[in-house]
Amino acid sequence: MKTVSLNTEQAPPISVPLRFFAVAPLFLLLSGLVLLSGTDNPFSDPRTPALLAATHCITLGFMAIIMVGAMQQILPVVIGSPMPASGLTAWISFLSLISGALLLPAGFVLGQPSLLKLAWPLLLLAFLTFIGASLTSLLRAPARNPTRSALLLSILALAGAVVLGVLLARGYASGTALFDARKLATAHILLMLGGWVMLLIVGVSYQVVPMFQLTPDYPKWLTATLAPAIFGALLLNVLALFYQPESSWLSVVAADLFCVLAGSFAMTTLDLQSKRRRRVADATLGFFRLGMTALFSAALLAIAMPMLPAIEHYEMLVAVIFLLGFAMSVMHGMLYKIVPFLIWFHLFRGSVKTGVPNMKEIIPEPWMWRHLWLHRCTLLAALLAPWWGAAAWLVALGLLLQGVLLGYALLTAISVYRRTLVRLERNSNPDT
Amino acid sequence: MPHELDVRGLPPPEPFESIMRSLSSLPAATVLQVHIHREPFPLYEVLRDNGYAWQTTPLEDGSYSIRISLRT
Repeated sequence: MKTVSLNTEQAPPISVPLRFFAVAPLFLLLSGLVLLSGTDNPFSDPRTPALLAATHCITLGFMAIIMVGAMQQILPVVIGSPMPASGLTAWISFLSLISGALLLPAGFVLGQPSLLKLAWPLLLLAFLTFIGASLTSLLRAPARNPTRSALLLSILALAGAVVLGVLLARGYASGTALFDARKLATAHILLMLGGWVMLLIVGVSYQVVPMFQLTPDYPKWLTATLAPAIFGALLLNVLALFYQPESSWLSVVAADLFCVLAGSFAMTTLDLQSKRRRRVADATLGFFRLGMTALFSAALLAIAMPMLPAIEHYEMLVAVIFLLGFAMSVMHGMLYKIVPFLIWFHLFRGSVKTGVPNMKEIIPEPWMWRHLWLHRCTLLAALLAPWWGAAAWLVALGLLLQGVLLGYALLTAISVYRRTLVRLERNSNPDT
Repeated sequence: MPHELDVRGLPPPEPFESIMRSLSSLPAATVLQVHIHREPFPLYEVLRDNGYAWQTTPLEDGSYSIRISLRT
């Protein structure tokens, strides 16, 4: 596959994606604080309020905010089709997503249904605005490439996950027992993580990995088939979940199919990275490789699950590896690569100017390496936490520190941008 | 005789920076022949805005040769 044209003329102002990225670390910090608030080990049961709240701080507050912000940039630049009413769309989705992402975990951890009643309409507004704008942009896009297909399927999975999430949140808020609430929750997690998160990372990787990591392109047969196959496997998993009478063979086949596809993506990406042209150590590549190794491990463990004797907390382990090991690592890696590039590009604006900092000076590399090591330690603690309560404290501390470190790095980048912009403007208008 | 610049294997945005730096430092009549591993789409927009013409030739090894000169 050839990496498509980067249509920079249609890019939104840099303040749009940066606004989303700058608040995301706050939710990592909050997730750490929420975990510290739990009395028992929150990792011992996936339904503990502290774990439910911390998970939503990470998935809604950290990941969704980054992904929604990144899409405002990706759609016009990579697909060549800006979102309709892009300024208004960005503000509505930004404000309602942040408010909802604060209220929902607060409702869980404080046991306050009134907060959940406020949270779900805000989140519905955020996602309806975002899904409507993204679908319009994707359907009228001139580009017809595998990234567009993957993003389209990712948004469809998000739409399904949001419907289920709203049903669940309304159920919690009203205190009424939902029919098959456990299955609804499983389908919500499947579509959110396996669909929205996974397919978005797949689609963006087709562009970002060869371009920034100087690897060969992903094989054409893979980019043409992987995202539709993953989406099909997800639908099969959801079907198997609600199939009556319950059919174990269908569940096993559907789950294994998804895992094989996810594992193949991870292996292919690791293989491409091993063939990169420039073999220089790079923290962003480190995040990405950790993410892909974690995805492959999660897929392998999930496939092995039915063959092994029952092990307590096995599912929790797979979920932790997918969420913190895969999704969070890749997002850190992408942020540390894309934020300096965006800032550099907006400062450069197509002409040679003296005083535009080198991309490596925008976020100092040692900060990224420190964050990578901190993230590795947090992940290690999270792998032990289901069985060892003290490790849960280390996870909380790790997330808290990661929020501080990432927040500092991003604010440093924004301040470099502002300072340089003022200097460049002063140089171009010396009389003012 | 064109001035040759090989930016293969450099990560973004180094190829872009090197090409723009060369163009601004070379005498106006000089043709710049760039050898690059990927077709640099964002560069074309900038070249057009700065009054340059370019001709891109895909090479057999998957890289590209781009001949850049001032528009006459």
